[in-house]
Amino acid sequence: MNYLTRQEVAAWLDHLAQEQTLIAPLDIAGNILYRPVSETREVVWDFVRSFMSVKEVFFPPTEQLMLIEKTGLQVKLTETLPEEKSIIFGVRPCDARGLLTMDALFIDNQPVDPYYARRRENTTLIGLACQTMGASCFCTNVGGAPDDPTGMDIMLTASDGGYVAEIITEKGEKISKKFPVFDGLSEIRPHPTSARKRDLKIATKEVWPGKFNNDFWAEMAERCLSCRICAYVCPSCRCFDVRDETLPGGNGQNQSERIRCWDSCNGIPYRRVAGGHNPRFMKNQRLRNRFYCKFYYFPIHYGPVSCTGCGRCIDACPVNVDITEVLGFVGRR
Amino acid sequence: MAEEKNSNPMLPYLGKLVEVKDIATEIKLFRVEMLNGGGEAFSAYKPGQFAFVSAFGVGEAPFGIANTPHDGENVLDFAINRLGSVTTELHELGVGDMVGVRGPMGNGFPMEKFKGKNLVVIGGGIGGAPLRPVIQTVMHNRADYGFFQILWAARNPSLLVFTDEYDQWRDTPDTELHLTVDQADSSWTHGVGLITQLLERVAPAPRNTITITCGPPIMIHFVNRVLMDKLGFNPEQNYVTLEARMHCGIGKCGRCNLGSKLVCVDGPVFNMAEVGALLESFL
Repeated sequence: MNYLTRQEVAAWLDHLAQEQTLIAPLDIAGNILYRPVSETREVVWDFVRSFMSVKEVFFPPTEQLMLIEKTGLQVKLTETLPEEKSIIFGVRPCDARGLLTMDALFIDNQPVDPYYARRRENTTLIGLACQTMGASCFCTNVGGAPDDPTGMDIMLTASDGGYVAEIITEKGEKISKKFPVFDGLSEIRPHPTSARKRDLKIATKEVWPGKFNNDFWAEMAERCLSCRICAYVCPSCRCFDVRDETLPGGNGQNQSERIRCWDSCNGIPYRRVAGGHNPRFMKNQRLRNRFYCKFYYFPIHYGPVSCTGCGRCIDACPVNVDITEVLGFVGRR
Repeated sequence: MAEEKNSNPMLPYLGKLVEVKDIATEIKLFRVEMLNGGGEAFSAYKPGQFAFVSAFGVGEAPFGIANTPHDGENVLDFAINRLGSVTTELHELGVGDMVGVRGPMGNGFPMEKFKGKNLVVIGGGIGGAPLRPVIQTVMHNRADYGFFQILWAARNPSLLVFTDEYDQWRDTPDTELHLTVDQADSSWTHGVGLITQLLERVAPAPRNTITITCGPPIMIHFVNRVLMDKLGFNPEQNYVTLEARMHCGIGKCGRCNLGSKLVCVDGPVFNMAEVGALLESFL
């Protein structure tokens, strides 16, 4: 069994950070966020859940897709694929599951999105099992668990003041060789004992169409502000916008960049076409669409349910729209 | 640059504008000559398929391809109405300017399946753009299709598209062109009224007939009501092509869903039987 003290894990991470970008949970103005760190002194080890998911490392809020250079009548396009290699420390099981959901869309569903795929390829995930479930966490209801190593490259689980390390993939094995403590595969994985179960049955795909025209959606949407924060904190929401932005140019060149940025189906103009027609102009239509996407449309198109039970949307919503309340309604006969 | 297909689906091919002409108020027809491998990518597109056109520096938007490969595998036509930021920028461009083109995308019309059948094409305003390749396909393969009726409408005469091609359409054997506008001007010599009224007057017979409609959603809805309630068509006989806002065209950005269907990859061409079964209305 691989057992490391926190000091040993820190020394190992500091060693890794010299070769690759190390991304780890930091406390930024009271919010836990995954950010590049130069040394592990800054890292937060004990936290329930970060404010934003690790999604933003792979599918950034805004990313450049290509550079556009105009010179006279000529146009030159240069695709700007990400090159950076990085390691993320402290990935929670819900977020790793979120990445598997995104993989189904961006990689398994042809054609492959090269930007996302490249970042997935170049990034190693060091998981950290949750020691407690937060008040809004419900991963166990959607097939996850606070100690679930699925999707991780290495999984660390706190035990006796240190960490038990399980090496899961080749990528994980590669970075484990960078520190002598890892010399064999671990066989024992302790389970966190404080996992809380919630009595919530998730309706199967087949149940959803029958609930589409229910008044519930209008009632739920009455308080929705269409603010879109639920989608931005979600580890598996992936709606995006693509547009060009002008860059400061020089030498008579006209430079711009094509960017991709997050968007959400809760936003009013999301579905509006240039002519003004908007098939989801009512906010209940938009709110309903988000939940149908997660549990009905996304599974039809890409396979997995697009919810990992992280509960971030519950905490972030300014008006208390609670996804477990929605699931409770759909699951009721 | 090598003549090869892009492996990055978000990267457009470059194209040069070789012809730009005003065809209606605020509507221009752009002819793009594809460069650097784009010609090969677009060598076998189908009527009803669409492509993203980039106005570099502003962005890109999806447009139905308005011609067929019959015009040569390197040229694509787009009829574009000036409405939003991308189309406004495109309208500023002229012959010699570069645009980006990504595609072809979407399912297109099953023209093979339509062979031997009578066709009724119903276009409203700029909705006529994706129907032009259907009309051209029938003209170029006249013996493959039965009686052909084109019902063409716009809010006023200045918004009718492809007016300089009407004589060609009329001269095609076994082909009728019926025109209507909501509001006439002094020079207008054809019918006045909604397209639904024109449709009731022309009254195509449902037997062995397929209809294809494109226009604003409200028009698609009422045209199909007339076809089914008054003229006796089955939903399966009626095809539509739907417009949706999109940002990828390849089933990823999530923008264009209508219930569980994605307009970009499951459409944009739908049979009305399919549309009727959608969880969400296109209206």
